[in-house]
Amino acid sequence: MSDMTTNDIQSVIVPPPADSLVLEVKKVNFFYGANQALHGVDLPVKRHAITALIGPSGCGKSTLLRILNRIYDLYPGQRADGQILFDGMDILSSKVDVTALRARVGMVFQKPTPFPMSIYDNVAFGVRLHGAKSSSEMDEIVEESLRRAALWDEVKDKLTKSGLGLSGGQQQRLCVARGIAVNPEILLLDEPASALDPISTAKLEDTLEELKRDYTIVIVTHNLQQAARLSDYTGFMYLGKMIEFGPTADLFVTPKVAKTGEYIGGRFG
Amino acid sequence: MIANQSRALRRKAASWLFTSACLVATVIALTALLLILWSLVTQGVSAINLEIFTNDTPGAASQYVGGLRNAILGSIMMCGVAMLIAIGVGILAGTWLAEIGGNTPYGHAVRFLNDVLLSVPSILVGLFIYQLLVVPMNGFSGWAGAIALAILATPIVARTTEDILNLQPNSLREAGMALGASQFVTIRRVIWKAAGAGLLTGGLLGFARISGETAPLLLTSLNNQFLPEEWWNMLSGPTASVPVVMYNFALSPDDVWIKLAWGGALLVAAAVLGINVLGRWLAREKKM
Repeated sequence: MSDMTTNDIQSVIVPPPADSLVLEVKKVNFFYGANQALHGVDLPVKRHAITALIGPSGCGKSTLLRILNRIYDLYPGQRADGQILFDGMDILSSKVDVTALRARVGMVFQKPTPFPMSIYDNVAFGVRLHGAKSSSEMDEIVEESLRRAALWDEVKDKLTKSGLGLSGGQQQRLCVARGIAVNPEILLLDEPASALDPISTAKLEDTLEELKRDYTIVIVTHNLQQAARLSDYTGFMYLGKMIEFGPTADLFVTPKVAKTGEYIGGRFG
Repeated sequence: MIANQSRALRRKAASWLFTSACLVATVIALTALLLILWSLVTQGVSAINLEIFTNDTPGAASQYVGGLRNAILGSIMMCGVAMLIAIGVGILAGTWLAEIGGNTPYGHAVRFLNDVLLSVPSILVGLFIYQLLVVPMNGFSGWAGAIALAILATPIVARTTEDILNLQPNSLREAGMALGASQFVTIRRVIWKAAGAGLLTGGLLGFARISGETAPLLLTSLNNQFLPEEWWNMLSGPTASVPVVMYNFALSPDDVWIKLAWGGALLVAAAVLGINVLGRWLAREKKM
């Protein structure tokens, strides 16, 4: 049933200029056991820009995000095929060193996930994994990461306190700081603001706006205004397919596929 | 209206009845506990003096002011060795079940056998070690006792470890891996840390279980009236322990012995309580 409805839809992809791409998802299928969740999805990701993924619940946008750093590897029975080009290699290849990949493609989750350790150690955690640093170097990295995540002023006097003691919004920015401390090229965010109040959300969005100068950001969001405000490119997904992809302004103002217009207009989803 | 009122009344009555039943059950359970503690304290406290820690168990009807030094030291060393083994093996086994192989057929078998081991009568464990170690080594020894106790404590630690680790959110595991940590590093540095207090509880439960065990020790470490000259090596021969001394002394007609048995009982209870309180306190300190 569901397949029939999307098979009729012609998907429209308006990619960014080819030389500005940092990562390219090509015809990717994804399976949860026998259940196919993604059907031949394409996603071009532009360097130093924010790419947003929108669509109704269960459309596969989080699934797509979770393929980009191979986090689904944790669960036997989940598998992907197709091709994802990143810096000349195919992420989906079994030869890829996932540890090294995840150092280059960071991720922030829907719910804040601070580790049960001090604020300082939370930020230093990933850095320590990828090689020893002197304590002064580490101090610098921690401060720089917390500043970039717009959290430094709020926590600079309590770096040794537990990260669990922060508010939800602060915890989420701590997770962003922890993610960028390892200096990844791409930062994946899975509905990072869904558990936050409006003020914390605004702070987080400001942070992302700042970060896109140095990082490539892919964000999954339920919040259409957030996608419209933040992103440079937007992909609309529906029933496991990429229905429309293009510059955010074009997609929101003059969608090329009727389904996209219906979703943005609030007629379903 | 009237139907509503009578329904509300009925609900109130049912709620009151249930709450009262809970209260009565709690009072019964607590009364039994308090009575035990009361007789333990009143009978045992007069036996607690300096000699109980400095003198060894006295012979029958001797003039020597006896104590429990050899038994206390034997219990500490056997329980200590047993807990080292139980915590090491138990935490690793529980972690394996929760994080790695728990869903394989082998994992299911391990979990099932662990549950069986949880409820094995302790005297069977004593017999097992008797056959396995005491007979081939031609003698009772503290090491055999420690291993018997370890077999009793390990499944408790493994079970609690698995349960506690299963409570940790998957998002925490994913967050660790997403930073490029290996599964091993994520478990060690993030998951174990998050589960710290729970893991400690597992250890405490295991300790509470073995601290009063008598039956397996009767068949393995037996008893020893004397503290060997080389006390640090005491486990290589028959070893006294507080529960076995209590068992022997409490059944005797000798008043001195009976008094010492009460003292031993109080010491064991105090040790379990003390270690529990200490453990909770340490776990809370760490979280802050």
